[in-house]
Amino acid sequence: MERRRALVRLAGLGCLLAAGPLAAQGGGMTPVAGTPAAPPLALPDIDDKPVDLAAHRGRLVLVNFWATWCPPCRREFPSLSRLQKLFKPSELAVLAVNVGEDAETIFSFAGASDVTILLDRDSAAMRRWPVKGLPSTFVVDKQGRLALRAVGGREFDDAAIVAQLRGLLRV
Amino acid sequence: MPAAAQSRSAWHGGQAGVEATATALTRPAVLAFYQARGFSAQAISPYADSCVFSFELRNTTQKTVRLRLADWRAQTAAGTLRFRLPPSWEAEWARRGVAEPARIAFRWAQFQADIEFAPGDWIMGMAALERRPDGAFRLNIPLSLDRRRHEITLDALACAQ
Repeated sequence: MERRRALVRLAGLGCLLAAGPLAAQGGGMTPVAGTPAAPPLALPDIDDKPVDLAAHRGRLVLVNFWATWCPPCRREFPSLSRLQKLFKPSELAVLAVNVGEDAETIFSFAGASDVTILLDRDSAAMRRWPVKGLPSTFVVDKQGRLALRAVGGREFDDAAIVAQLRGLLRV
Repeated sequence: MPAAAQSRSAWHGGQAGVEATATALTRPAVLAFYQARGFSAQAISPYADSCVFSFELRNTTQKTVRLRLADWRAQTAAGTLRFRLPPSWEAEWARRGVAEPARIAFRWAQFQADIEFAPGDWIMGMAALERRPDGAFRLNIPLSLDRRRHEITLDALACAQ
């Protein structure tokens, strides 16, 4: 019975994955008008250790809001790790904020990811950010301001995005 | 309904550089997805029993696109239908005592009610018509691009059987 339930769930998710063509996730990110201060973000990571965006002042932070049931989120997730490897830790941090799910569900998808995964179980943190849908991604600059944003999946190690981030490092 | 329309489950259209894809979702698929998010079959049944689509909209222009789910219209033989908006569903889940994690997942799996998306942005989400229509229908999706009004039309859509 458990196997049947699992198969039904997979079938359901598969239908929704096939629902609509998942076209290439390319392109850069959009500059945020006015570069407002980033909203607060202080959440536990998947090991239940507290992480605070404010502690990352002085480097770029890519904040990605996602969920395991979201097909474009799943597709772009590996690119977060690839992006992180292109920068020094002193230059860029990547925070993948999972919305509404528990550690077991997240771990079953992400495994032992080298990306910092934060848990926003009640979505209270996400509601403070200008999230338009999942996935939504923001880049916080070295001064703690919202510099770039993207709605919908991307390949974050795309040359256009990497160039945008290197440009922000020079500011 | 023509046999071709009955067997078809996905539709694609576009206008002024904004592309739309609609996919009709079957009741079993909707049930499976939301039960995996924590809904009971009974709790999600009003949604699963309705005419549910997965939508994907993609902005291939260099301008900002704005659209509202409340403006979408399904033109059926019996008249015009609208989509039931996310706040209405949220009220339904509160009445049914659905747990918060399931409600959070539902909220963000929906096509958001009021959207502004920048060049390169694309959005996916589900939406359900306020009633299940008999037969095929035309879907009109109004949008604003560079302060000009445009409309994407998808013809001969049909609910999944």
